[in-house]
Amino acid sequence: MGFYKVVSASMRGIQAELIQVEADVSNGLPMFHMVGYLSSEVKEAAERVRTAIRNAGYTLPAKKVVVNLSPGNVRKRGTAFDLPISIAVLSALDMVPTKRFRNILLIGELGLDGKVRPVDGVLSMVTEAKKRGICACILPKANIKEGALVREMHILGAESLEEICDWAKGNAKLAEENGRANDSIRHVQEKPDIDYSDIQGQEGVKRATLVAVAGHHNLLYIGPPGSGKTMMAKRIPTILPELSWEQSIEVTKIYSAVGMLRGDEPLMTKRPFREVHHTVTRTALVGGGRFPAPGEVTLAHEGVLFLDELAEFQRGVLEGLRQPLEERCVHLVRQQGACWFPADFMLVAAMNPCPCGNYPDLERCICTPTQIQGYLGRISQPFLDRMDICVEAPKVKYEALAGEERTITSEEMRLMVKKARDRQKERFAGSKILTNAQMGREELRTWCHLGRAAECLMRQAYDALQLTARSYHKILKVARTIADLEDADEIEEGHIKEAVAYRMIDKKYWGS
Amino acid sequence: MERMYEYWLACLKGIGSERKKQLRERAGSAKALYYIEETEKQVGILVNDSEKQAIGTGRKNWDLKREYEKLEKAGIRMVIKGEKEYPVRMRKLAGMPYALYVKGNLPKEDGMTAAIVGARKCTAYGEVMTLKIAERLVQCGIQIVSGMARGIDGAGHRGALNAGGSTYAVLGCGADICYPREHRGLYEDILKRGGILSELPPGAPPLPQHFPARNRLISALADVVLVMEAREKSGSLITADMALEQGRDVYALPGPINSSLSRGCNQLIRQGAGIITGAEDLPLDLGILQKNSSSGIKKKTEETKIMLETTENMVYSNLDLFAKNQEELLRLTHLAPQELSRALVSLELKGYIEERSKNYYVRREK
Repeated sequence: MGFYKVVSASMRGIQAELIQVEADVSNGLPMFHMVGYLSSEVKEAAERVRTAIRNAGYTLPAKKVVVNLSPGNVRKRGTAFDLPISIAVLSALDMVPTKRFRNILLIGELGLDGKVRPVDGVLSMVTEAKKRGICACILPKANIKEGALVREMHILGAESLEEICDWAKGNAKLAEENGRANDSIRHVQEKPDIDYSDIQGQEGVKRATLVAVAGHHNLLYIGPPGSGKTMMAKRIPTILPELSWEQSIEVTKIYSAVGMLRGDEPLMTKRPFREVHHTVTRTALVGGGRFPAPGEVTLAHEGVLFLDELAEFQRGVLEGLRQPLEERCVHLVRQQGACWFPADFMLVAAMNPCPCGNYPDLERCICTPTQIQGYLGRISQPFLDRMDICVEAPKVKYEALAGEERTITSEEMRLMVKKARDRQKERFAGSKILTNAQMGREELRTWCHLGRAAECLMRQAYDALQLTARSYHKILKVARTIADLEDADEIEEGHIKEAVAYRMIDKKYWGS
Repeated sequence: MERMYEYWLACLKGIGSERKKQLRERAGSAKALYYIEETEKQVGILVNDSEKQAIGTGRKNWDLKREYEKLEKAGIRMVIKGEKEYPVRMRKLAGMPYALYVKGNLPKEDGMTAAIVGARKCTAYGEVMTLKIAERLVQCGIQIVSGMARGIDGAGHRGALNAGGSTYAVLGCGADICYPREHRGLYEDILKRGGILSELPPGAPPLPQHFPARNRLISALADVVLVMEAREKSGSLITADMALEQGRDVYALPGPINSSLSRGCNQLIRQGAGIITGAEDLPLDLGILQKNSSSGIKKKTEETKIMLETTENMVYSNLDLFAKNQEELLRLTHLAPQELSRALVSLELKGYIEERSKNYYVRREK
């Protein structure tokens, strides 16, 4: 009788840290006391643990029980401590043999009946444990597939506290799952029920979308209501390239931490597509809160963040996107400490050109020039500067709707994207970046060298169209992607021309 | 110092412009009106009770010296009805303001003056034609008056300036205020070679009700009024009506009959307005230009045959002054989207076409 200690883990943002759960039993006034900077859901664990222990068939003696969660200066949150606390207490009371709990990670929420329930963030916790030299875990049975994503980890799944106690005594076996040995993902090719061939006409817009996805460039659609901007954006997932194993694990960690993982499929194999409504708050979009939680930009990591009706978003909310767009991650500093979330997403936005939506069709547009300028003015120039490709989606004419012309399909586009992305992967092998959009100054110099004719054209465009240094770099990057789509090593004149056509609208001349 | 009282009288609210002129003549000076109680003791009853009250409140809320200094600092002159400088064309008309505020010069009395009016939201066709016609008019020695609004007005001023002529803007706000703000460059350029006029004192904001009123001044200052592009219900048609009331000739630029943007113009023509079929029409009608000199136009059209690549040529031939978007062009040319956008950028860089707004293109007239 006395003291026992087990290992558990707690989430901070999307990162896990290991927590020592200590229990001490001594003579004194009978009580159950828990310390260690606990949030209220952890404090409530005391009641759950005592009841669950009783219902598992053990009687707690009238002793003074003190439980400590260490390190004591880290705020403990979540319900994953129920199981480790009860094991620590039972062990300290010598009610179960302790031999098997040595160097093993314990995670799980307990019901009053002693059943072990699933928790969030399992993947991050198990990965952290692995890093710290722990090679076995006891998880809620519903979480074992997720835990098994970590290589060379011995995963045990429990359904009830009683079962674990029996296992510790050597009387029973727990469900076992071993971390998988290889890194392959089974990409299930299910046919999506939407396809780019659903959209008649708008070939120019499709082409721009293709280029944007191929190079991971941010994309802005401008057009009247009903022109198919949203339809176009919603079909982007059908042409996105597949996730690699590392990317897949990273995305899974995020979704696991926020509890959005689908139970039957522990690994996120598809790139996320997050559509955000314009009433979203800044915190919900970029993340935050007193205990920083990831926002939509992090949920869209390695995928697409789609903002429909861009002009309706509050200005402050959009400004919050500037830093993640530039640095491809979010840094949040709160009183509780700084937090870092990945946020490497492709931004796709759609907006009307003016309040009535019909500009520049002067026959239909009923807005005044001031209104038209004001509408675009709702979005700040620095934000517009971060859009690489801008394209107008015009109203579809009847001829195009009724036409029998064959249009490009998602499958064709997906293969083109894949080819272009493979070229990029090969080019940037060994460096940190994967796509053309991520190129920095150094990479631009190395990979976007222009031939004589292209150089001459670029100079002409720079002067004639009054480009800025920023737009010059963007045009180079987009031209590189167009060249990749055409399997060309050198950026040629045609590639530059097309990239110039995708440049951002100039606010100054809008509406005048 | 007398001018300070004149300025006070010009800005006085509650008394109409005709009555102001009448009272001033009877009292002898603006100063005499300012001290109305003393004056009435000498010359007898001049004003009724409500006017006396208006003068009283006018005096109370007015710092003679400070206000006049403000006017001088803004570099604005005041021209009062009845003075020598007051434009001759406006003298005979009813409803003209008591005072005009001028920055720069007033239109020359001996030269011909044409007013150019039209929609703020105009097509490339309206804009290009306005530029061309204004240039030609100026070359014939005609000065241009307009309202410095966006669209047609701005193009009218710009055309006149391009050809080195003088042009005058009548504003719907104080002459010291540039509205719309993006015309700041134009405002400065007009001042260099013409003038900015307003019937409102300096500092008056551009309120919507000011604009129909300023339209009557535009037509009053001109000998002919040119309506370049107007919808069925538009401010430009108000100007045309005013012009007719004031006995000015009205000309209109015809547009496609299915375009609602030119419906106002086409209606004016149907009602008997002069029709503009080229830059030479007006100078010919006014007798400034002789018939035989009009052969220059034909030569120009031949010059516009340009050597272009086949795809570019095909794209160019599908464009005109009415903006077409990329999808329309794709359907007309049957090109792949990437081929089309490359041809468009090529043409744009060569200066043959212009992107009016995102992915909407027009031909550029040379």
